[in-house]
Amino acid sequence: MKLRKYLISVQKEALLLLRDIEGVVLIFLMPIILVLVVTLLQHRTFQNLAEVKIPVVLVDYDNDSLGNAFSRGIGNAGIFEVTTIRGTDSSQLQKARQDVAGGKYQIGIVIPEDATLSIKNRVIVLIQQQLPDALKTVKAGNSLQSTISLFFDPVTKESFKELTRASLEKFATSTENRIFITAYSKVIDAITGQQSVIDIPDEPGIVFREDLVSEYTGGVMPNSVQHNVPAWTLFGMFLICIPVAGSIIKERSEGCLARLKTLPISFLNILMPKTIVFVVICLLQALAIFLIGIYLMPVLGLPGLQIGGNNAALFFISFASALAASGFGIAIGSIASTHVQASTFGSVSTVILAAIGGVWVPVMVMPEIMRKISAFSPLNWGVTGYYNVFLRNASTLEVMPEILKLTAFFVICILAGIWFRKSG
Amino acid sequence: MKSSERLKSNTFTSTINRGQHLKGDNLIDIRNLVKVYKGRSTPAVDDLSLQIGDGEIFGILGPNGAGKTTIISILCNLIHPTSGRISIDGLSLATDKRKIKQLTGVVFQDIALYDRLTAFENLIYFGTLYGIHRQELEDRINNLLMRLGLDKFRNEKVGTFSGGMKRRINLLAGLLHNPRLLFLDEPAVGIDVQSRNVIIEFLQELNASGTTIIYTSHMMEEAQKLCTRVAVIDYGKVIAVATPDELISNNPDCRSLEDVFLKLTGRSLRDEF
Repeated sequence: MKLRKYLISVQKEALLLLRDIEGVVLIFLMPIILVLVVTLLQHRTFQNLAEVKIPVVLVDYDNDSLGNAFSRGIGNAGIFEVTTIRGTDSSQLQKARQDVAGGKYQIGIVIPEDATLSIKNRVIVLIQQQLPDALKTVKAGNSLQSTISLFFDPVTKESFKELTRASLEKFATSTENRIFITAYSKVIDAITGQQSVIDIPDEPGIVFREDLVSEYTGGVMPNSVQHNVPAWTLFGMFLICIPVAGSIIKERSEGCLARLKTLPISFLNILMPKTIVFVVICLLQALAIFLIGIYLMPVLGLPGLQIGGNNAALFFISFASALAASGFGIAIGSIASTHVQASTFGSVSTVILAAIGGVWVPVMVMPEIMRKISAFSPLNWGVTGYYNVFLRNASTLEVMPEILKLTAFFVICILAGIWFRKSG
Repeated sequence: MKSSERLKSNTFTSTINRGQHLKGDNLIDIRNLVKVYKGRSTPAVDDLSLQIGDGEIFGILGPNGAGKTTIISILCNLIHPTSGRISIDGLSLATDKRKIKQLTGVVFQDIALYDRLTAFENLIYFGTLYGIHRQELEDRINNLLMRLGLDKFRNEKVGTFSGGMKRRINLLAGLLHNPRLLFLDEPAVGIDVQSRNVIIEFLQELNASGTTIIYTSHMMEEAQKLCTRVAVIDYGKVIAVATPDELISNNPDCRSLEDVFLKLTGRSLRDEF
């Protein structure tokens, strides 16, 4: 008989939900749109720098080795899309400034007229210091240093400027060294009377290699899709707290809850069928978004979602997240007095939990205090669980801490709801 | 025509056939009931004692804020009393809640139904929660819908119903399990004369079949016709308990229950907040 009471209650909840077809469409559609929009927007941010072409205008007044090397070298670096203008008078500089200010280019680089000559002068001075008898007839020019000017699009972030400046400085140093060695070699040849050929390799002597720490041989790297799809799926799941709370408040305000409380059933008999129906909705919502991540996102030019190789772990982390989201809604619905209270608190608290949970900004870049707070957000537990399943191919046992935390959150929410309704 | 004579002519007793309870035994015994709401200094119910016999249609009458809804809410287990003792059919309200809930039906003033479910779906839902088996429940629902003229609308959503139709379904939802005791809070308020008439007749049939009815209303004429006994309460206290006829005869200057009511509770407005 108890089972029949649960079954009829589940049937009632399902009918009430399905007969509000606009509401059901919104429950599914809004998170899907959210995931698509955010993933597309953040796709560029998550790309490696190598995949991003930064438009650069280079005004070359040097018209010599340094200017040529810069133009060729930064063009080959892969991260810049270079437009080189041969400088003859100040009008080219003027035009370049205007283009950068207008956003056509993000960076402007000006190689001054005597840049290569300055390096050559320094070579002569250095050799004359080391070998005072050599190059007696050669006189170094006055210019020993030149200044390469950079100007940026006004909306460029400071962190991006720093990154670009560091990349250009590294490249300038390498080019200067190359010119320096070549010039030095020519001077040495002149002193010794020999004709040496120096082959300076393009690759540096010390190189860096990034190794994956994941044992998963699939080698999935975090990208916009791998982060945003699970993160915003969780956000969508937790937004279900608003319809869950709304259903409880409607039941209460219309008197049905009072009638139910006069029946020979427990309060759990009222709450659990709601939980079951909304957990199923959350799981279907997650399934729809994951399928979109796998099949639709590649069509939109995004990487396809990789869900790892452990479907059981994926199910359990999704199930626990759905439980937590529904429980959160039940607690809000039991505590809030009105729809306005529930929808305001539900939406704002979900946004806050998402923000501190690493849905918008990865936890690793948060300040220390926020990282500590983040550990208390159920969305953080969900995101961590999905990350572990998707990127590290974690087993159910490995994501058990997250599953248990989400389940405990659900139990606490249900107990809070029951306690508040009984004491209220 | 006396209430008992009207009941004899009724044919509905075959649907709800529980005439074994004898009128006169105390079905409800309320002793020294007190309820003080949080933040209020004056009690909503103030040391109230009342006995209600089995088989009665007992009216609880009082102006706004007198404590009627509080008493009904306590009897229905919706709120806890501050102190006092209540027993229903010999069972303690404090310890035998589940058994008492199975004995009682409640019909609130609010239409406590799901608008997006049909009349049948609503009744099946509430009936199943009372623990009635499906076939028995369906038969009972069909009989009751027919009795109250709603069988044609069984598969229509309640949200499309008129006020009178909703009230009738609301009433049925509270008595699907054939309760021994039925609490009614303003069961016929705000509806058309025909619907009210059907409801009143139906309540009399129910009572004739053995259901004790506790009834609150502002409609004195209706209470006078329907109730076997009434209690007039004010400021949480019982100020009179008797049959309507006794109350009128004890107050020679009054010609109706409404006159008695006004005499006992005064003519000043009782606005609730």
